Amino acid sequence: MNPAIEIRGLTKVYGQTTALGGVDLTVPEGSVFGFLGPNGAGKTTALRILTGMARPTAGGATVFGHDVVSATNDVRSVIGYLPDVPGYYPWMTAEEFLRFAGRLHGVTGSVLDDRVASLLDMAGLAGVKQKVGGFSRGMKQRLGVAQALINAPKLLMLDEPTSALDPMGRKDVLDMIAALRGNTTVFFSTHILTDVERVCDTVAILDHGRVVRQASMTELKREGHAVRLLIEVESGAERLLSVVAGQPWAMECDRDGRVVRCIATDMGAARRAIPAIVAGEGLGLVRMIDEEPTLEDVFVELVGGRD
Amino acid sequence: MHGFAVFLGKELTEIVRTWRMWVVPGIVIFFGITSPIIAEITPGLLSNMAGAEGQGIVIEIPPATTVDAYLQFSNNIMQIALIAVIIGTAGAIAGERRSGTAQLVLTKPVSRTAMVLAKAVSNWLLLFVAGAVGAALCAGVTAVMFDTSLLAEFAAMVALWFLLSSLFVALMLLFSALLGSQAGAAGAGIGAYFVLATLSLWSAAREYSPAGLMGLGDRILMDQPDLSIAWPVVTGVLATLLAVAGAAIVFKRQEL
Repeated sequence: MNPAIEIRGLTKVYGQTTALGGVDLTVPEGSVFGFLGPNGAGKTTALRILTGMARPTAGGATVFGHDVVSATNDVRSVIGYLPDVPGYYPWMTAEEFLRFAGRLHGVTGSVLDDRVASLLDMAGLAGVKQKVGGFSRGMKQRLGVAQALINAPKLLMLDEPTSALDPMGRKDVLDMIAALRGNTTVFFSTHILTDVERVCDTVAILDHGRVVRQASMTELKREGHAVRLLIEVESGAERLLSVVAGQPWAMECDRDGRVVRCIATDMGAARRAIPAIVAGEGLGLVRMIDEEPTLEDVFVELVGGRD
Repeated sequence: MHGFAVFLGKELTEIVRTWRMWVVPGIVIFFGITSPIIAEITPGLLSNMAGAEGQGIVIEIPPATTVDAYLQFSNNIMQIALIAVIIGTAGAIAGERRSGTAQLVLTKPVSRTAMVLAKAVSNWLLLFVAGAVGAALCAGVTAVMFDTSLLAEFAAMVALWFLLSSLFVALMLLFSALLGSQAGAAGAGIGAYFVLATLSLWSAAREYSPAGLMGLGDRILMDQPDLSIAWPVVTGVLATLLAVAGAAIVFKRQEL
């Protein structure tokens, strides 16, 4: 099976600035793939190259085996794309824009009628007669996802689809993306970690134009990033930290108010020893739990220290 | 040329549903109706003004004729309507880029050449209809106020205006693609208008280049001898086609 996207050594240089410095990436077919990175990491540049809006300086990419530079129409006929700030003709209604987008893909007749009706329904825009020029950002973004699906694409590419939305708008768009799982490959760029945690099954982290990690969400959270013990006490957390940090199994400990977090070389030994230490120091134990690393931990660890 | 027909349909609908429907056609139709009237009343107005001055200067102003009515229309559409065409089409490509619609549309299987050509054809159609309606009204009012002579010459003058306007549409597409700014393209278009107007004063340029299209209609109406029509028309058509091709090539090479 061809991967949905295959990127090899993709480089894009603007004058003295290297936006992409040799990106290698494989997006498996059927995945909801999060393309994660801080602002300015090169996510939009990569998407612009994949959609044929920009040309690479070096390297290349294929979408379902079609070269993105030489076979632009083959690529465009199998993708749906939503740019970060979608532009519409303000005099059109949502239905008119969907029909226009469908006809550009060669979709006509009853197939177009059915798709327009179901996509308007999915986007919550059925029956809306207002012109697009008067739409809120959330409505424009939902219409953006709908128009990107008008050709029943094999690959949906979304550039920061939730970054400008309020919490309700974000929820609506993320629900739309989540509903596509299993039907369409979704390639989704964002800098919002919680969005990725919510809908993606595979993630690549881009920083300064390079992919610093690609893995499944589960793998990314577990592999190489230890579970931490979180110990909350009624008081005396500072004293607890100094005692725990002095234990032979303690690898990395820190304190945040009444909470002490500790990564141990031997988690079993730590779990057995800590209640005795708390009791010995006369501190009241509120809770002691294993804390799974979040995507934010992984992200900060991979890109946080760089500049 | 993927998507040409669909994009042309969108452009024509946009013309009907927005201000574009009213600006150039409105100007041409307005001058179509008023030009013969202005031509008719101008000699009377000038005579009254000269008499009111009472300086003893006698100015003989002959009564207006059919030619005057048509020349009045020609002068108006060659200047005001043409400037409106320039300003109205300055954002044709730059506007699509700035608003982000180009990004959304061109990531579908539609070629940039099709987009440029659809814009050219839709604007040419608008000018053709505007010119035809305006000219018909002008001819009608002139027939009522004067007579029905010189209709063939008048039709030739309007056809030459359409050709010159079409050239400016093509040039504006090129400037709009090249400069990426509506204001910049409008400035370049107005500059091109004055360059062409200046060149039309030079006999060699007037005879062998599109500059000859400026004032050619007037000379046909005035039945001036030694008219050179073929070269301005042929070079005008060629320049139009080259400008559209140039716009498509420039736009195709640009990153969005």
